Amino acid sequence: MSKVEDIARELNSNFGVETEIRGDNSIWLEVKKDPLILLEFAKRKGFGHLSSISVTDWIEEGKYEVTYHLWSYSDKLLLNVKTKISRDDPVTLSAISLWGANAQIHERELHELFGVNFRGNLDPSPLFLEGWDKTPPFKKDFNWRDYVRKELLDKSNKREKGYWE
Amino acid sequence: MSGRNFLTNPTNGRKATGSEEMSTDKELIYDLPFGPAHPGPGNFSIKLKIRGEEVVSARSDPGYLHRGFEKLMEYRSPMQNAVLSDRICVFEPLNWNLVHAEAVDTLIGTNVPERAKYIRVLMVELSRIQSHMIWYGAMSLATGFNTGFKMAFGYRDYILDLFELITGGRVYPTGYICPGGVRRDLPSGAVEKIKATLDKVEEMLKLEELENPSFEARAKGVGILSAKDAIALGATGPVLRGSGVEADVRKDAPYEIYRQLDFKVPTRKEGDAYARCMVGIDEMKESIYIIEQVLDSLPSGKVREPSLKPELSVEIPNGEVYIRNEISRGEAAMYMVGNGGTTPYRVKIRGPSFLHLIPVLEHILPGNSISDVPAIYWSLNSCPADMDR
Repeated sequence: MSKVEDIARELNSNFGVETEIRGDNSIWLEVKKDPLILLEFAKRKGFGHLSSISVTDWIEEGKYEVTYHLWSYSDKLLLNVKTKISRDDPVTLSAISLWGANAQIHERELHELFGVNFRGNLDPSPLFLEGWDKTPPFKKDFNWRDYVRKELLDKSNKREKGYWE
Repeated sequence: MSGRNFLTNPTNGRKATGSEEMSTDKELIYDLPFGPAHPGPGNFSIKLKIRGEEVVSARSDPGYLHRGFEKLMEYRSPMQNAVLSDRICVFEPLNWNLVHAEAVDTLIGTNVPERAKYIRVLMVELSRIQSHMIWYGAMSLATGFNTGFKMAFGYRDYILDLFELITGGRVYPTGYICPGGVRRDLPSGAVEKIKATLDKVEEMLKLEELENPSFEARAKGVGILSAKDAIALGATGPVLRGSGVEADVRKDAPYEIYRQLDFKVPTRKEGDAYARCMVGIDEMKESIYIIEQVLDSLPSGKVREPSLKPELSVEIPNGEVYIRNEISRGEAAMYMVGNGGTTPYRVKIRGPSFLHLIPVLEHILPGNSISDVPAIYWSLNSCPADMDR
């Protein structure tokens, strides 16, 4: 059995999650509970590099999907862990205990752009948008075109006006 | 230092107005902003706390180049996004073109023609060389070695001439590497011109060896990053390899035609600014070797699927993909989610500089002298554009 199948089976037997192997080196899975225990297990198994964390806003479902992309330098494998959290009260545990400042910075970005709260991450200060007090801008229900038209359009400028009409 | 008015004492918030305050109380800690004036760190700022000449702590202040590409891409078709992906990093647009094109190709299931794969690798390796030249030039500027700066930017222009010939744009190729392949085939005479340009690059690398001592004096022993810290902080690319970790996406998870190519992954053990830069120089030599192999085995055939004209409106099926590439700065990745529409439902861009300029830089600056800050900063081969996105 190859290494990728080995790890997929181990994740399946330890956590009861469905795993999908794509290509020859990547595993995708979805967990129903908070993923921190699974992530901790993955890190012990060699997935030491937290490549990225991302959030997808499934607005119709009322859920945010948080995805962790991990890489193992020893086995040359990619592990993608997905979990869905409520969109109205988006809270999940921080991965700072596992990846320190690396996790901190990804979570800080997602807090700013989607409003997700990572419990245990104590520095949610904004990275990109100073003084922004409106809806987190990467949410699906934030319409930036409307926002620009209302707040920033210079009506006296003919060229700008033409662009929007 | 002329800008004394911005030296404030964080303990009580009053301004330090004269030199006597500094000389009578040596334990005073001052705030010193590094950037965001452009020729210094380039649209990025670090707030330093200094005691005398020594950096006590550093806090990165990004956001000067935030354009919201991830959100913008949700409103545009893949062909429009190919053009947008140029702008993720000013120094290496072709490499980001490839990350985006691979994400779309994988989601849609396009069979990219063999010749297109060769041209893609050819272009991203040329782009890697010119990006490393900018790095060498900026690093030289930061260490007061102006000759190096002029030399690197001068020789880089030969590669920009090639880009103009092949893509039509000197710096921005406007999505030359697009979903399905590349926009057009190599024009006649391009192969000979590329070979001549490689000779020029080799010429520059020889000059670099002659000028090395003055560069060495400023870069050796500063900004040390251990291998363990590098992995923990998410460092990738030359920063990670400069700390002795042999990791390269092109080798570890080969994409395009990298599996068929022969090249080494240069590493250095020291983990200081000098080691990182030398990894960069060695990588330029490896890139030359890669390009020579590509040119020798360039197959004939189509360069895009469909070949007649690009598909402007194409349905992106349900599904998601996480694409990782090795660009000159490190690991570039794109997470793309499709839901059956003509635009991606969600795009997440992972730029290597996001980790290098925030956690890594904040970690390695304390303990160094303020005069070494520019050298350490540029040794990370940073690009504020791919950090802010």
